[in-house]
Amino acid sequence: MPVQAGIHSIEKSGATLIQTFTQTIIKKFKADPYFWLLLPLLLYIVIIAIYPLFFSFRISLFNYRLTDPNQTQTFVGLENYIRAFKDPTVLISIKNTLVYVVGTVTVELLLGLGLALLFSPETKLAQFVRSFLLIPMALPPLVVGLIWKSLYNADFGVIPYYLKQLGINVGRGPLGELSTAMPAVMLIDVWQWTPLLMIIFLAGLKSLPQEPYEAAYVDGSSRWQSFIYLTLPLMKPTFLIAFLLRTVQSFKVFDTIYSTTAGGPGQATTVLNYHIYTVGLTFFDMGYASALANILLVMVTVLSIIYILVMTRRQL
Amino acid sequence: MQKKSIKVVFYLLLAFALLLGIAGCAPAAAPVEPEAPAEEPAAPAEVNKFEGVELTLASMTDQYVTAFRVLIPRFTEETGIKITLDELGYVDLYQKLTADFVGKTAQYDLMTVDIVWSGEYATNLYTLPLDDFMARDKAELNLDDIMPVAWTLGEYEGKHWAYPMAGYANVLNYRKDVFKAAGIEPPTTQEELLAAAQQLTKDEMYGIALLGAKGSAVAQDYMAFVQQHGGSILDANGKVALNTAENAEILEFFGELFKYAPPGSTDYWWDQRETAFRSGIVAMMEGWSIARAGYENPEISSVVGLVDVTAAPVSEGMEPKYGFGGWGIGINASSTSLEQEAAWEFIKWLASEEIQKDWVKNDGAPIRRSTLTDPELVAMYPWFPLMLDSFEKGDGDYRPRIPEYSIIQDALGTYVNAFLVGQETAESALQKAQEQVEANTK
Amino acid sequence: MYKKRSLPEKIILIILSLLAIAFFLIPIYWLLTTSLKFGRDSFAIPPTWLFFDATLKNFTEVLAQSKTFMYIKNSIIITAGTTFLSLILGVPAGYAIARSKFRFVKNSAYFFLLLLMLPPVAMLIPFYLIMRDLSLIGTYMSLILLNTVFDAAFVVWMMRSYFADVPLEMEEAALVDGASHFNAFLKVALPLSVPGIIASALYTIIYSWNDFLFALMLTSPTTKTIPLGILASFSSVEISWGKMAVMSIFAIIPAVIISLFLNRYFVQGLTAGATKG
Repeated sequence: MPVQAGIHSIEKSGATLIQTFTQTIIKKFKADPYFWLLLPLLLYIVIIAIYPLFFSFRISLFNYRLTDPNQTQTFVGLENYIRAFKDPTVLISIKNTLVYVVGTVTVELLLGLGLALLFSPETKLAQFVRSFLLIPMALPPLVVGLIWKSLYNADFGVIPYYLKQLGINVGRGPLGELSTAMPAVMLIDVWQWTPLLMIIFLAGLKSLPQEPYEAAYVDGSSRWQSFIYLTLPLMKPTFLIAFLLRTVQSFKVFDTIYSTTAGGPGQATTVLNYHIYTVGLTFFDMGYASALANILLVMVTVLSIIYILVMTRRQL
Repeated sequence: MQKKSIKVVFYLLLAFALLLGIAGCAPAAAPVEPEAPAEEPAAPAEVNKFEGVELTLASMTDQYVTAFRVLIPRFTEETGIKITLDELGYVDLYQKLTADFVGKTAQYDLMTVDIVWSGEYATNLYTLPLDDFMARDKAELNLDDIMPVAWTLGEYEGKHWAYPMAGYANVLNYRKDVFKAAGIEPPTTQEELLAAAQQLTKDEMYGIALLGAKGSAVAQDYMAFVQQHGGSILDANGKVALNTAENAEILEFFGELFKYAPPGSTDYWWDQRETAFRSGIVAMMEGWSIARAGYENPEISSVVGLVDVTAAPVSEGMEPKYGFGGWGIGINASSTSLEQEAAWEFIKWLASEEIQKDWVKNDGAPIRRSTLTDPELVAMYPWFPLMLDSFEKGDGDYRPRIPEYSIIQDALGTYVNAFLVGQETAESALQKAQEQVEANTK
Repeated sequence: MYKKRSLPEKIILIILSLLAIAFFLIPIYWLLTTSLKFGRDSFAIPPTWLFFDATLKNFTEVLAQSKTFMYIKNSIIITAGTTFLSLILGVPAGYAIARSKFRFVKNSAYFFLLLLMLPPVAMLIPFYLIMRDLSLIGTYMSLILLNTVFDAAFVVWMMRSYFADVPLEMEEAALVDGASHFNAFLKVALPLSVPGIIASALYTIIYSWNDFLFALMLTSPTTKTIPLGILASFSSVEISWGKMAVMSIFAIIPAVIISLFLNRYFVQGLTAGATKG
């Protein structure tokens, strides 16, 4: 008897708690009319995106292979994660991913800034060139990969042909040699995305105030000095945006790898995102793939949290 | 009041957007729905039974796809069964089919089944066993005419999971003119093959063309050489054993051959290897017999009239092996029974003697004795007698058709390629491949 | 204000400019010429840049295939659906985040940012399983739903900074006049933000038109999009570079049109994000 009464009262207090909780929230929401405009998207994301993500977390704790005729799901706890850290391919792909991200983002930032400076004057020519330079970044990455794959072709490609003319031994081609495969693929990424950074930096440059420059000129500083001591510091917020944008995109690279090297030669260009695809959608080892995906997710989240902290501290 | 009506408009717009998407759903979903119920009323002729049935065929983009493009409209005319042909590359085909099977989405009713997938499809019940159909329609099928070895294109443990469709003989293609100029005979052993490759690699010419691309391409080429050297990827008990000393030796030999292949070979898929041979820069190429006719086609080949074939050589002292490969055609186990019946009609039609002649004439590959001995065809394709001989002595289990085949292929595909580019030694490559297979076959 | 650049400086700048232009445009030029070449010429050695036997054969062959129109139709339907849905969901949300004083609403912006950072594969695997259970694989809907997740998040960010730039006074005037917040949004803020909306639409169009991974897994043979169609031009017999080039040109048409003619909006959208963060 007492036990039942006890449970009953817990239930009752629990129910009232939830009631008051929801009531306060509803009150708060009623106070903010803008919330209703946000709600559709929020609901949509929760249903379409968050539910699958929880599904993915759950699945990563199971051994679930779609190729099994019975499609049994057996609980294995953290085994998938342990397996991930022992798997040499995973470690290689994490390394490759970091190399890829750091390499491409760095080069693109520098090159993008350079291009922005080069084409910033408001001449007809510069404007004309700028609109053409937008094309690479709007192309499907798949197509870009295919184009460059043929340009790089060891036997018939344009690039090895000219390299050979210059006397450089091409060996198995830029995409076929262990030492050049990753740089070659990174070059494709640079080709496609530098224009994006160029635009962002152009916008940043255009919004710079004139007065500091005029003051500096009066004080006798040279072009170069103005650049180092004025432009660079003033461009910091733009830099951060560009950095974040490209880094996040770079972690997600897939189409480029798929269309050029399929992760090869060997595993020289296997990035984590691509490996997850191989495990999950060619082997259909769903549990393991979900675990790997969560690991990648954590990597990216850590980075973004760092970014958010930096940004909010800067009081934008 | 105004607020309310605007909200209504807002949600109407949202609904419209969703409707747009759903409207898009309808045409895509339709072909999968069975149209059977409306057509059931007792129909005298077979044709009416299948009126309006639509099937989808997934075909590998091998040479025979041209034959499909020509023959399918004819089939539709004769039977009223509509077939949509989806052409897919090897990697995509395997992946899409697997996704279709495990998802039970039955997007494809008919599919070309690689000989080595027989075990996998059987154990996982992906395709419909055809034995009941075969028993029922035995009279029409003329089963004795089909070359015995061709049954390996879908048979597994006594049942048939795909029907023979295109038979390939593993042959050695070589340039008559190049060999003549060098004064040597085409190789009859693997050792002679290596020697010839070495000798003929000079002045812009390479000795041999090989498949080196990471994935199924290099795995299959390597496995072919394993067979031809008398090795095996299975041990005496039928368990996977990649990391044997013998296989390592064969891998070293394989790597040796690559020295006499065009530099891009470590990236070669089947089409690139074919292009290399057809553009005239290599002297030899092991390959499937189905490609032979293409070398005589001036639109795509620069070596018309200069090619001959011979049996693929084995190691010194070994019994000659005649590798047999090819494709069967299967029916999706998840399709509706009406679709399966219609699909079987297509298979029967395709495999019949008269259609087989047109099949072969349009770049298909033969499975019947009658096709291989038909005088008209032999006159057009003088290498048919060689193929007939090859089929009669052929070994369809030349590459094991076991359920784990794809896993083995993936592991070898990664690590043999890694060996070829210098990332691994022969032993470490096979060791890692073995480990990967074991990890994935838990 | 600085003295004019000396001649050597100018020359260096010109050379650098030319190099940049060449680097970025040559591959596209290659694509165009390859689509006009015969199969055997597309990888002739030495490569021919200017003078070669031009042919429209590749174009006629690709256009003659009914599949080509199917791919284009599918791409258009999916892109249109995605863009529409993303805008309907994302624009109001961006507005809400820009205007609201409520901490929950303002911080949800970072939630959407996190969404953008997700590796698509992570979403695809569970999404594929769910769609399979709902028997929605191969429908336009599945692709539209998944694409919208990411595109709408992007739209929110773009519109948020855009709306932040739109002065409050006009809306406040409307509110004082007794209009509801929703009306203020619809009748005042929205018309002022049309360039931003256009920019968002352009981005969504490009993202979904170019999507490959999701299309790879979620389409059926009848709902394939253009990128998948491009892959179909590879076969065991030969790689048809000419046909691939033609299909690739179809794939890049929206990109080129947008870059060349609508680049004003395109750039505006980006800059709004860049300068405000």
